Amino acid sequence: MNFRFILHDLHANIKTWLRSPGTVFWTVLFPVLLILIFGAIFSGGNEAEFDIVVQDLDKTTISEEFVANLNNISCVSVVELESGKNVTEFMHDEDKPVALVIPKGFNDTMVEYIESQYDPTIEFDDTNLPFNLTLYVDPSDQTTTSILRSIIASVIYQLNMNIVGGESVIGINEESSVGEDFDYIDFFLPGMIGFTIMTSCIYGSIERNTKYRKDGILRKLLTMPITRAEWILSKMLFMLFLSFVSTLVILLVGILVWGISIKINIFFFLLVIATSFLFSGIGMIIGRFVKEQETADMAGGAITFPMMFLAGTFFPLESMPDFMQSIARVLPLYYVNEAMRNAMIYADIDKTLFFSAFVFVFATVFFMVGILLTKWKED
Amino acid sequence: MIQKTVQCPNCRKILSCSGSPGDVVKIVCTGCGTEGKVTFEKLVSTQNAAIEATNLTKVYGDLVAVDDISFTVQMGKVFAFLGPNGAGKTTTVEMIESVRQPTSGNIKIFSKDIKTSFNEVKEKIGVLPQEFHSFEKLTVKETLVYFSKLYKKTADINSIIDAMDLKDEEKKYYKDLSGGLKQRVGVAISLVNDPDIVFLDEPTTGLDPKARREVWEVIAGLRNRGKTVFLTTHYMEEAEYLADHIAIIHKGKIIAEGTLDELINKHGEESILRIKNCSSKNAVDVLKENGFDARTEGNGDVAIKIELKERVLNILSILKHECIDYENIDIRRSNLEEIFLKITGARLSGAK
Repeated sequence: MNFRFILHDLHANIKTWLRSPGTVFWTVLFPVLLILIFGAIFSGGNEAEFDIVVQDLDKTTISEEFVANLNNISCVSVVELESGKNVTEFMHDEDKPVALVIPKGFNDTMVEYIESQYDPTIEFDDTNLPFNLTLYVDPSDQTTTSILRSIIASVIYQLNMNIVGGESVIGINEESSVGEDFDYIDFFLPGMIGFTIMTSCIYGSIERNTKYRKDGILRKLLTMPITRAEWILSKMLFMLFLSFVSTLVILLVGILVWGISIKINIFFFLLVIATSFLFSGIGMIIGRFVKEQETADMAGGAITFPMMFLAGTFFPLESMPDFMQSIARVLPLYYVNEAMRNAMIYADIDKTLFFSAFVFVFATVFFMVGILLTKWKED
Repeated sequence: MIQKTVQCPNCRKILSCSGSPGDVVKIVCTGCGTEGKVTFEKLVSTQNAAIEATNLTKVYGDLVAVDDISFTVQMGKVFAFLGPNGAGKTTTVEMIESVRQPTSGNIKIFSKDIKTSFNEVKEKIGVLPQEFHSFEKLTVKETLVYFSKLYKKTADINSIIDAMDLKDEEKKYYKDLSGGLKQRVGVAISLVNDPDIVFLDEPTTGLDPKARREVWEVIAGLRNRGKTVFLTTHYMEEAEYLADHIAIIHKGKIIAEGTLDELINKHGEESILRIKNCSSKNAVDVLKENGFDARTEGNGDVAIKIELKERVLNILSILKHECIDYENIDIRRSNLEEIFLKITGARLSGAK
């Protein structure tokens, strides 16, 4: 193995990549644009409408004002539930992912607290604070629950500001398996990383196999001292370079623009590497069987497009029909997305290990098959 | 003539026959009457041989792309492999370059079998593949440096740039070059390791006549620098202009081989002397009386077959003696196109 050859070829690849605005756009700026567009759609006002079940056990002026404020948000529709009815049963029967229960005593506690702020003779037991509303969420619908959770949080914040200037008087006591606030962008960003690595590695590998074959570069290299293994390794390092560049840019946009909290850990790095190998392997396999560059691009599209929509990149799998969920579970990108999310957002080690195992197996199989099928010699 | 002894595969009787190198002689067993063929291998000089190909064959399914060909390329010479599209030129050169695996046969480069020693040979050869395009976003100089650094031994890149007359283009991107310049860069790439043998597969295909001439000058310069050049082409002018030795390939077989003079002498017609606008209609009769094979052509010119160039002076002195005036004369000998037509019945430029 001649590492001088490998580094020299890698350097030339990076140089030509930096000189190609089109490829830089697709690798770096396109994902950034998607993040900004999708983030804006799901972070600001939009035409989508989400139902929140509200059970007002207090039925007072403040509680009703709170419900009215919630209902005034353009994308929220409040579904009122009579007291005495079981909240979780109603959520299940009516397929509602989020329910909010305003407990009895909500108004009295608020009034007592406000009066205590103006009249020192009135004693107020601070241990009652914050006065928690109870939020029920369906953990299987993370997108909707994330969005609604942030909406409810903003309404409560506004109420806290109005009552006591920002102090946490009213809080949320969440009844769910998920203990942290996640927005849609938290869901979307890891998917975007997986999707970007997939497209750049598949198309990059296809191009290097079809264009270089058509241009006679592979025939030329075959007559030179550089070996096929050195060349493939150099290309893999280049794909890794692209993967890390695009991942870094996506993370920066996520952090700086959308304020995402990201857990960078060893799993995350290993996943980026494994994902690059996985999709480069798929690209090498396509490049072996499809000779013409135009056809190769179409073949690449035929692989990446369905995966992009079916593998839970933009929308959670749970929001899709059952048969589509079954399809998604055989797609490598699904496991990449889930592993990335659990590694860098949810910090769920068990799930990270579970999904990562699939990614590493896929990566090993596809990359090995890709290497075996990549031929320089003509028949 | 070579004497060869063979054994009848049927009755085991020992038979003898004779033939010239390259002949395939029919033989009938005097014992059992079985018919067979005896092949007399071509005698090739392996002294100073850069490339030796022996009984090279490449078969794709039912198609025999290269059919049992043998040839030798001498060091320091330009060897042209001439033939129409689809004749088997590129398949042959790619078998020598180890890009394709021969179905059968042997190839030696500098006496080393490429099946076992191609990695050693790689440092000594430079290749310009057919329809080669380099990296679009590297400059000419960066391109040459890129390829040179993938060898252990490298030539001085600036010298190559000067020799290929690429100084003005060295900072231009490859994609911005004209077709002729791209081919010159391609030839330059094949020289970055200072090779002993340069393979150029159809280096001027698709170029305009001016660009083609420029590439010819570059290739001629390679011979002057002592390189062995293996050139494939379907342009007979290219082979005539550049080659020291020409092998004509048709349907996978070498149908003629030798220097240009050898090919013309062996396969060409006699040279024709044409006399334009003769002042006398009796010129043909006068020349015939003097033993020349003369005729009047459709445009009125007088055409005379000449076997030896000395006879041209005889003809001119006869015309002068007979006071027959003329506008000018033109001597034309057979070219490779006519030789190809004569041997195959097809035109080189249009044959498949």
